[in-house]
Amino acid sequence: MLPLLDIVHAVGLLSCFALLGTSRIGACIRWLAFQGVLFGMVPVIVHDGGLTVRVALLALGNIALKGIVFPWLLLKLRARAHYNREVEPFIGFVASILFGVLALALSVWLALGMKPALKQAPFGMLDLSIFVIFVGLFLIVARRKALMQVIGYLVLENGIFVFGVVTVVGTPLLVELGVLLDAFVAVFVMGIAIFHINREFGSMDVDQLTALRG
Amino acid sequence: MFADQSIYAMLALPALGAALCLVLRRPRHVLATIVIVSAAEVAFAVNVWTEVLGGKGFVAAADEWFYIDAFSAFHIIVLVLVFVLSSAFAGVYFANETGDHPFTVPIARRFGALWLGALTAMMLVLVSNNLGIMWVGMEATTLLTAFLISLHPSRLSLEAMWKYLIICSIGIAFAFMGTLLAAAAVQSGGTVEAEGLFWTQLASPDARLDPTLMKFAFIFVLVGYGTKAGLAPIHSWLPDAHSQAPAPVSAMFSGFLLNTALYCIMRYVPAVRHALGGEFASGLLIFFGTLSILVAAGFIVFQRDAKRLLAYHSVEHLGIIALGYGLGPIGAFAALFHTLNHSICKSLAFFAVGRLGQKFGSHEMHRISGAIRADTLWGLALLGSLLTLIGVAPFSVFMSEYQLLRATVAAGAWLPLALFLAAGGVVFVSALRHLIDMVFGTPSLTAEPAREGAMACAIVMSAMGLLLLLGLWMPLSLAQAIGRAAEFVTGPP
Repeated sequence: MLPLLDIVHAVGLLSCFALLGTSRIGACIRWLAFQGVLFGMVPVIVHDGGLTVRVALLALGNIALKGIVFPWLLLKLRARAHYNREVEPFIGFVASILFGVLALALSVWLALGMKPALKQAPFGMLDLSIFVIFVGLFLIVARRKALMQVIGYLVLENGIFVFGVVTVVGTPLLVELGVLLDAFVAVFVMGIAIFHINREFGSMDVDQLTALRG
Repeated sequence: MFADQSIYAMLALPALGAALCLVLRRPRHVLATIVIVSAAEVAFAVNVWTEVLGGKGFVAAADEWFYIDAFSAFHIIVLVLVFVLSSAFAGVYFANETGDHPFTVPIARRFGALWLGALTAMMLVLVSNNLGIMWVGMEATTLLTAFLISLHPSRLSLEAMWKYLIICSIGIAFAFMGTLLAAAAVQSGGTVEAEGLFWTQLASPDARLDPTLMKFAFIFVLVGYGTKAGLAPIHSWLPDAHSQAPAPVSAMFSGFLLNTALYCIMRYVPAVRHALGGEFASGLLIFFGTLSILVAAGFIVFQRDAKRLLAYHSVEHLGIIALGYGLGPIGAFAALFHTLNHSICKSLAFFAVGRLGQKFGSHEMHRISGAIRADTLWGLALLGSLLTLIGVAPFSVFMSEYQLLRATVAAGAWLPLALFLAAGGVVFVSALRHLIDMVFGTPSLTAEPAREGAMACAIVMSAMGLLLLLGLWMPLSLAQAIGRAAEFVTGPP
């Protein structure tokens, strides 16, 4: 079982650095889809009790939504927006990668701090999930396009999902479904919002949203 | 009677109402539907409240997945009060929407469905025993209310909506981390099944919780839900959203959406007290509360837009409530009483500013002038509600703030006391300065104002009457109800 987790760990970290260093929005969406599928498999790998219906449902639901439905919606939005690159982000791509290195160190340190309290959690998944959360937050603040902020939000969600799977054993199915439903509606609502913003402003740059202050 | 059925009804009715609004053919019918649904909710809420206070102290349904104690029953009462007032006001407000923002059938349908949907979601938060479901409800309120802000899409309202959506989504994601950590804390403790993750289990004194994890959990929950509650320094979405939303929506945001988030934070407090002692949670609440009061006071001085002014007042008052929760039994009592007063008062203030804004064509304070002569009813409402808001006696906000001062003295919290008084003084002076010009200045309107209908009079009279009544006389039964609700936060005496 464990080598599988190591692979998830390594590839997961790699996907985060790819997200930090990529300017093409289409590529970012594909990396996001990849993460959705990869992390969707984590519940199946970490559960010692084997493949119960609950675990299978959870994994399938996550893979379907985060690996297929969300990326598809985002790609449709991108096609409508007539742009496919994040040019001139607030923080450049090299600096973003550097941030990634620092964030990784920080998340290993945080995971070490949490380790004694969370004995059952595999350590690699702990630091990976915290790192993914950092990367998601960073993408939200460092990118100019509204679509990239949505991608950042979904990366953040991915991180929290992994964290939840490895730290909490047996959340009720009802709650899991509610969380998935909320994520689904969130993407939908953000999509419609971007559509309106695009129509009203003629672009999706969030730095145009600066009329309200004080 | 039938208290558990009332819980189901309280959830089902607004959900069905929301669906109904989507197929109605006239805006008038939508506006009538939301009033009828809110009024029916009041009946159910009062039923549940009397059952909770008269009986075992709680009402439960669905294997305790729904669980209402005195704390949630009190919040439900405030919620339905705000909703019934705001729904009635929505009728007055949208009937007078003209010019750029006609209240067409599609907009009316969208408004009705999202409005009642938000009511359902907030009700779900308040009746849920499971902390996960509570979170689901909270996230749902964010998503449902986003499009209420940009009901009339414009550059400014879209900007406000996008900020609200992104900032609150991140906040709520943090709250989810907090929820997960609390679940992990329960599991590490090993005494109770984490299966349910009920706040009733977390709050019970026999729950053994891992202190480190519980500490992390509470910080995440406080910052996460605190974003939604508008606690400084994470309140940045709040003035934008409040100023751009239509007035009934701003009233509902300020009147109860913020309190819902604070309610979620408070559900974790007993568990934190058991795991880490009383100081940790109350210290953080006092810190964030005082900081919110200070930051809000600073911004209130420089405001030019009446709705932004009210929005910063919300930051201040939520800070006051959080401060009260941190100050022990007297403070928790004052905080709950203040919740009721602030919700009624702030809703009325937004009604008045919204309606005057329609007449004067702007929410800029220098363009609203001589309101009392241009429109006697709403001018008076603005005067009364703003005076109440800044704590003028004999209105009820004065009473709850006075109790809060007593609580700070009793707790020996001298620094918060001094800061609270200083900030209160600043707010008083600067708000009064704005208020005098708006209400008593030379009227800038030339046209003869239309007379307000009976509904508008009824809304203003009932809200002002309640604020005055509660300021002069606190019924014993209400005092007992609030006292029992406060016990949840501070533990039995």
